Amino acid sequence: MPILLLVAAVLASAPFVLPVFATTLLTEALILGLLAMSLDLMVGYTRLISFGHAAAYGLGAYGAGYLLLHTATPLPFAILGASAFAGLVAVGVAWVCTTATGVSFSMLTLAFAQLLYAIAFKWTSVTGGSDGLAGIPRTVGPFGLTALQTKSGYYELVLFCLVAAYVFCRSLVGSPFGAVLRGIRENEAKMLSLGYNTRIYKIAVVAISFALGGLAGALYSPFAGFANTDLLFWLFSGQVLIMVIVGGQGTLLGPILGAAFFMIVQQTLSQWTDSWALAFGLIFIGFVMFAPAGIWGLLSRQRVRA
Amino acid sequence: MDLVGFLVTQCLNAFSQAALLFFLGVGLTLIFGIMRIVNFAHGTFYMLGAFIGYTAVRLTGSFWAALVVAPVLAGAIGSAFELGLLRRLYKRDASAFLMVTFGLTLILEELIRLTWGVQALQIDVPDALSGVVFLFDEPFPVYRLFLAAAGAVVAIAIWQFLERTRLGLLIRATSQNAEMVHALGVDVNRVRSGIFGIGCGLAAFGGVLAAPLLTASLGMAANAVIDAFVIVIIGGMGSFLGSLIAAVLVAFVEVFGNYFFPDFALAAMYLLMLLVLVIRPGGLLGKEA
Repeated sequence: MPILLLVAAVLASAPFVLPVFATTLLTEALILGLLAMSLDLMVGYTRLISFGHAAAYGLGAYGAGYLLLHTATPLPFAILGASAFAGLVAVGVAWVCTTATGVSFSMLTLAFAQLLYAIAFKWTSVTGGSDGLAGIPRTVGPFGLTALQTKSGYYELVLFCLVAAYVFCRSLVGSPFGAVLRGIRENEAKMLSLGYNTRIYKIAVVAISFALGGLAGALYSPFAGFANTDLLFWLFSGQVLIMVIVGGQGTLLGPILGAAFFMIVQQTLSQWTDSWALAFGLIFIGFVMFAPAGIWGLLSRQRVRA
Repeated sequence: MDLVGFLVTQCLNAFSQAALLFFLGVGLTLIFGIMRIVNFAHGTFYMLGAFIGYTAVRLTGSFWAALVVAPVLAGAIGSAFELGLLRRLYKRDASAFLMVTFGLTLILEELIRLTWGVQALQIDVPDALSGVVFLFDEPFPVYRLFLAAAGAVVAIAIWQFLERTRLGLLIRATSQNAEMVHALGVDVNRVRSGIFGIGCGLAAFGGVLAAPLLTASLGMAANAVIDAFVIVIIGGMGSFLGSLIAAVLVAFVEVFGNYFFPDFALAAMYLLMLLVLVIRPGGLLGKEA
């Protein structure tokens, strides 16, 4: 725990030391970290392999973008509103998806995400169609939070959201609710016979996961200034899932590292070579072959040895 | 325009579309049936087929040669990948396959970009198949007729292959109970390499056939693999007949949806998939729920 506080303090002071470009990169890494962590609640703790987590991100991004573009909602409320919207939609999605288990569950989540993608593509009056929403402002509102319009101020907001979400998730998985989730992961039939209505728990965890993923999306669109259909495409769902696995599923912190790793390696490699995707692919395969427990697994093995 | 002519041409159009979807979906479903893995790289093999096809047409001047060369090469690459990497992972969970095939997708796409460049490449329709025929006074491209026929021929060929050959028998047996087949003295690993190669080869075959319509381009993999997923999911994972039915179903929804409700055609495909999954979580002809 003291180490985590130290890391948070270092991260909080980062924008005062780092160049603007690095701060922008770090902001994006933290947002993706939040998204990957939210997916870890489903994948790592409940073994609900969602293949459609881009839906959460897209709902949040479009929700916040729409509120900021078409209403005078201040930024913090737009972000919270969009996050709640994603969570609410997720209740409906989960209601349907939890009728299935295993691969079928994954495929249903994929179907929903692609359906949202198709809707975002065609419902031009609300989503801007293939152009997406552009020029999303960061409306400050009456509270004088002008700091949020600067790059470093927005970075601190993102960091705050990530830390708050982490504390929330950590206490959630440590609670009796979290114990039920782990029970579902290990043996759902047993949890059922113990008298738990596992479906309600699964719907709840999908809703929470989507709300946090929506939070990440809602932080992204005002940061980038746009939201487009790429955020909802299935390829992005796959990438987030891989961030979780590369980082180490079922650890919360691992997926954050996985997202940061994903971003930083992509950024560094693309500066070195045009063929960064080639090296990227090799790294993934290397992880599967030699480090199945992910980055977090590598780190904790080091600690045990030391 | 009279109604019969309209219906006939649109239906033929849908069948030609179904043929392309079927080539994509059937390989993926066979691979899933045998190996229980989701092959992310399937669309990339389809794309690879289109690019190899382009080069084969340039070198030999024959579209028919491309139709043989591309599937064989892509199938060989697929089998090599199974032998080298996937084989070591059968004891691991599904996420390992997801990452490895995703990694392969990145690598193959980059290699394709390095080899063929970023420009979309056009394969010309062979002379014998260019032009149009008139059906009920409606012009209809001969190439699309050829696609529909090729789809039917390949579907029958695969069906006969699965039903009547020894390898087909082994494939069906392995998808039902791999351990039992192994216990009976069959090298299951070889069946797996074989089917992975066949699946990738079928995707590449589809890629060559699609290239005259769509051009060979770097964007085609991402769309193709999701189409393949949709076919496999609707039809039921591992079901040959299911993938055939699903391909026809999706093609009809696409073609008629595009005609009558152009704004909703894309969504209609996913709605169909949701509907099927809600009613039958394992897909139309799938076994597992």
